[in-house]
Amino acid sequence: MRVTLLIASREYLENVKTKGFWIGVLLVPIVFFIIFHVSSRLATATPTRYYLLIDQSGQYAESVDIAIRREHQRRVMQDFMRYLQENRTDLSGTALSREPATQLDQLIDDFGNDEVATLDEWLSNGGLDFALQMSRAYLRPDAPAFTEPRPQFIAAPLPAELDVSAPAQTIVDTLRPYLNGERRLQVNGEAVSLFALILIPGQVDADIVRPATLQRVIVDGGGPRGVQYWASNLTDTRLPNAIQTSINNAIRQQEYTSRGIDITQVRDVQRTRLPLSRLDPGKAAGSEEVSLADTFRQWAPMGFVYLIFISLMQSVQYLLSNTIEEKSNRIIEVLLASVTPGELMMGKLLGIGATGITTILAWIVSFFAFLQLYQTVETVMMVQVLDVLLSSDLIPRFVFYYLCCYALYAGIFLAIGSLCNTLKEAQSLMMPLMMVLVIPILTMSFIAQDPNGTLARVMSWIPLFTPFTMMNRAAAQPPMFDVVGTTLLLVFTTIAVLWLSGRVFRQGILRTGQPPRIIELWRMMRRRSSRS
Amino acid sequence: MSDPVLSLTNVSKRYGDFTAVNAINLSIPRGSVYGFLGPNGAGKTTTIRMILDIIRPDEGEIQVLGASSAMHVRERIGYLPEEKGLYKKMKVWAIIAYFATLKGMHRREAKTRAYELLEKYGLKDFANSSVESLSKGMGQKVQVLSSIAHNPELVILDEPFSGLDPVNQEVLEQLIRDLKENGQTVIFSTHIMQHAERLCERLLLITQGRKVFDGTVDEARAIIPRRVILECTNDISTLAQIEGVLSVQELPIGNDGRLHGTRQWELYVKEQTDPQQILQYCFQNRINLSRFDFTQASLHDVFMHLVGPEAREHNFR
Ligand SMILES: Nc1ncnc2c1ncn2[C@@H]1O[C@H](COP(=O)(O)OP(=O)(O)OP(=O)(O)O)[C@@H](O)[C@H]1O
Ligand SMILES: [Mg+2]
Repeated sequence: MRVTLLIASREYLENVKTKGFWIGVLLVPIVFFIIFHVSSRLATATPTRYYLLIDQSGQYAESVDIAIRREHQRRVMQDFMRYLQENRTDLSGTALSREPATQLDQLIDDFGNDEVATLDEWLSNGGLDFALQMSRAYLRPDAPAFTEPRPQFIAAPLPAELDVSAPAQTIVDTLRPYLNGERRLQVNGEAVSLFALILIPGQVDADIVRPATLQRVIVDGGGPRGVQYWASNLTDTRLPNAIQTSINNAIRQQEYTSRGIDITQVRDVQRTRLPLSRLDPGKAAGSEEVSLADTFRQWAPMGFVYLIFISLMQSVQYLLSNTIEEKSNRIIEVLLASVTPGELMMGKLLGIGATGITTILAWIVSFFAFLQLYQTVETVMMVQVLDVLLSSDLIPRFVFYYLCCYALYAGIFLAIGSLCNTLKEAQSLMMPLMMVLVIPILTMSFIAQDPNGTLARVMSWIPLFTPFTMMNRAAAQPPMFDVVGTTLLLVFTTIAVLWLSGRVFRQGILRTGQPPRIIELWRMMRRRSSRS
Repeated sequence: MSDPVLSLTNVSKRYGDFTAVNAINLSIPRGSVYGFLGPNGAGKTTTIRMILDIIRPDEGEIQVLGASSAMHVRERIGYLPEEKGLYKKMKVWAIIAYFATLKGMHRREAKTRAYELLEKYGLKDFANSSVESLSKGMGQKVQVLSSIAHNPELVILDEPFSGLDPVNQEVLEQLIRDLKENGQTVIFSTHIMQHAERLCERLLLITQGRKVFDGTVDEARAIIPRRVILECTNDISTLAQIEGVLSVQELPIGNDGRLHGTRQWELYVKEQTDPQQILQYCFQNRINLSRFDFTQASLHDVFMHLVGPEAREHNFR
């Protein structure tokens, strides 16, 4: 035992010193960090975009203008809310499971109808200035000053040579070099590129589509209709969407008036809603409601399956290369004069296992450090999700399946390593096993969607897949029979594989020359080892 | 002191139809330096591996330090295998300490011991380099040190001298003498007869898996008759009449720097024959000697005598 631990500790310390280990440890948090940062900062990072609005009809310019300014105010408000939550004196009462969920739903509803009550309220109260004043008392003394986000879209002044009343085609032709980026506009003495041209022709009302006129429009062909949006950037749809929504709102308001419908009533009607509660029959009475955290719990197993897989792939690397190093450098003979092959194998298994666990722990620690550093709305939610995870049985299951999976595959890989003198030889022996290992990853999402379906049940009973599949099904309360049965089978198989691998390892480790053929391998498994 | 450190009784090992080691009997007394000699493929390494229980004999009994398997007494044995190798990324001191701890030494003690050994045998400056950066010979020295770091009672070195320069061969010889002085038993295999001659008290000579000799160096020398070289102008074939002279033969003229016009004779005499007897005979018979060489048989001669023809044959097999 002492010797086994010595081997394990050497193995561990040497692995931890390798570059590969640190890449593995650091890569995941770095990628996570980058994704988080990029996605949350992307919105503010996009450059300010300049557009030209030419409204020959003279009816819609104002609505578009208001819509774009409102959109900016919405962002200011959003940013301010986030700022408030990050810098409040007391963080306890923030973002709780159900309340904000419904509030959020309401908000989304409102946005959809462009009737943002909160935004109205915000604007009518005096916007940011008022909010800053109001919140001062609740802010931490060391809170940084709030920086207002830059407006995303700014109306550019018209170039001098442009005749606004010219026919649409002429205007477009004049502005084409600007839109193509060949020429730049002068804004406050700075040369900026024109992002988009919105051209509302004089006769635009003729193009209004009403259910009754739909037929005619479809038959009619040729030429752009309605509002013309000219831009070479096709991916950023925020501006055209905002314009379309605002103009449609303006038109609809006209329609309401012309048809004698009370607008305030329509608004009220549009904001009327019936919430949908998602319930989970598996939960205790009174708490059946499916919260955001519950949804996360549904998907967490897949994350764990990935974690098992990634960690296993990392360990495979060590299992093979370290065994082969000992063989090809002939260190093995000195070792075997000091330790039994069994002790050597166990030592390697433990040492490399510890390496894998260290990596996972490092990921977890960096994840928590990350949460601590960025206590924003999203991460507060994540902490909650984590609480849920910790209180469920997902973690112990993960630990169990991780260990079984590791022991099962490590045994096989160590045996392969013991038979090979070079990594190249090992690679050809590994191929079939690697293909087997890809299966649980390929089927992962199917199993997550139908955790107690036929595929899931069948795969659960194949020991090589059991850890992945059962982990994947963990949140879906698989039948007791499956849980107990597959666990027993898995444990039994793991022990059997380790035992057989031990035999192969003992004989393989002293071999030189080509890896054995299947028939020889079979003989090695059956033969009692040449050593005790 | 009485019971042997190692004893082999009728030990055989077969690889398929081929018998690598054939019914070897051997007993090695405590505190001795023991040499394993034999041509390539004789079975030395196989025997050593069986002693260490790395492979199992097909027949026979092996007793090491009173145990039936070396694994039971592994802490008391040190081993340098024929094919040398170390963990490339480890530090020199760490690898010596690691193998010492595997053999039951305490971690801190092992570290001190590693530095001590490195200093003593001239590798102090490399203590903190990685094994990778060592030359082959230095690496081999490190490996020798790692095999003796835990002060084993029995040290088994398989071809420890191969690949070392003359200076380091000296160092290693000294190391083996130090071990002996310390009361440790050393077994080593080698192809360099001078080392065996200088270091060993006893020898085992095997060829094609069979023991052909086992005994002291002097006993080995006694196996082949002593050779006397005489140079004179006379015909001295009558020397054969002297008691103890086995054969007299004139050597053909060769490029051996003899005086012009002299003849050279080779005599083989029995081990106990007194050279004075021959000299006296020459004097009495007025034979004018211009050279009289009475040499002890070297181990090399013994080796060639015992295994030469077979070894050559073996190579053509
Ligand atoms: N694993 C093996 N399989 C088959 N034959 C083997 C094996 N190991 C050794 N032999 C054979 O056994 C014989 C003895 O080998 P061994 O290595 O003991 O020789 P040796 O005396 O150490 O030679 P050398 O001086 O070249 O090191 C050789 O003929 C060799 O071919
Ligand atoms: Mg050998």
